[in-house]
Amino acid sequence: MKRERKWHNILPLGDLVSGDVTPARLGRLDLAVYDTEEGVFVSLARCTHQGANLCYGYFDGFAIECPLHQGLFDVRTGKPLAAPATRKLRMLDCRIADGMVQVLR
Amino acid sequence: MNDEVLTPISQAMKEGVITRAELRQLMRRSNFAGFLHLLKFIVVLAITGTLVIVSFDTLWLIPAMFAHGIIVVHHFSLQHECCHYTPFRSRWLNEVVGNYCGFLLVIPNKYFRYEHCNHHTFTQQKGYDPELIELPISLSRYLWYLSSIPYWYAQFEALIRHVFGRISKSEEEFIPVEERRAVIVEARTYFALYLLIIAGSVALDWWGALWLWWIPMFLGEPVMRAIRMTEHVGRPNVTDMKENTRTNLVTRPMRLLCWNMNYHAEHHYASSVPFHALPDLHRRLTGFVHVEKRGYLGAHIDIISQIVGRTPRADATGSEA
Ligand code: FES
Repeated sequence: MKRERKWHNILPLGDLVSGDVTPARLGRLDLAVYDTEEGVFVSLARCTHQGANLCYGYFDGFAIECPLHQGLFDVRTGKPLAAPATRKLRMLDCRIADGMVQVLR
Repeated sequence: MNDEVLTPISQAMKEGVITRAELRQLMRRSNFAGFLHLLKFIVVLAITGTLVIVSFDTLWLIPAMFAHGIIVVHHFSLQHECCHYTPFRSRWLNEVVGNYCGFLLVIPNKYFRYEHCNHHTFTQQKGYDPELIELPISLSRYLWYLSSIPYWYAQFEALIRHVFGRISKSEEEFIPVEERRAVIVEARTYFALYLLIIAGSVALDWWGALWLWWIPMFLGEPVMRAIRMTEHVGRPNVTDMKENTRTNLVTRPMRLLCWNMNYHAEHHYASSVPFHALPDLHRRLTGFVHVEKRGYLGAHIDIISQIVGRTPRADATGSEA
């Protein structure tokens, strides 16, 4: 039977770093929470190239650059924008509710 | 899903050496800083180029071409920065300048970028780091490496092989399948342009490229080989970034030429930090990286001491990979 997805709190809104990427966890999953002008987006924190943690990367407003080889991803869609990143980032549905950043999982 | 690899910067942040806010500040890119540094570099290049021209038909020609060659081969430092997309804010500018440098030095830019990725992932790991320079087993091997003959052989061999559409087994490790075609096209484009320049030189009987580019480049390359040796050669073949990379403290003019890449351990710690912020990162990472205070000369004294057996060989500690 398919498990029903539900919303999980991952980060108090007050801990979200404005205009930057903030690390968060959900169980054993490392997540990256991006504060952009178009709202908040959440992805798995591991780079799809060789697994570096994107939370240590350079964030310029809508693109996150991997700290290891400077692969680039659009954080709104997870789309890889520059080599050596070629595979999409896994994005999670997210929302702000009750003063928390929540993801659907 | 991949497991997280412990990048040096994640290690530094977990150890509290640097905060996210500080790192974010250091990683900021600036077209202004990039262009200003490039302007200074071009002025130096123009001065040495002029020296070559005015010393024509005199005995000073060879020393002038050697001096000019030292500057020419330092385009590598800029290309290296560009492959990390750090000297300029705009990515496309890094691509354009990286290709200009790569074309000048016969280091196709896309190919270099992929090779360099694995150098950062597997720094100093024998059999995995595609840029690893072995600690020479004798002084004659040390001089052979510095002669640049093995270097140029490897560069031209790779270029020609790619022109013929062949990717080696070891290159398959770092060039993704979907990019192999692009690497081959890049090599063919560079090669065609070299042929065009040679044909143009013959047709016009104008040999500026020979005197201001090729001969100086070959004369200057041993200096670049010597500098590149100081980054990792003689450091242990271990994964710990505090051990496997050497930062060399050098003079301001040298820092200008090498785009601060003497702060090599800091660069490996956080390769998204642009050249202009590396001195600052160096101050923050004091005690966390291996620093050779005597500079490039000191690094070579260390390397030679290990070769002749005055100090234990760093590669005797073995590879962790
Ligand atoms: S691990 Fe992210 S680009 Fe290589």
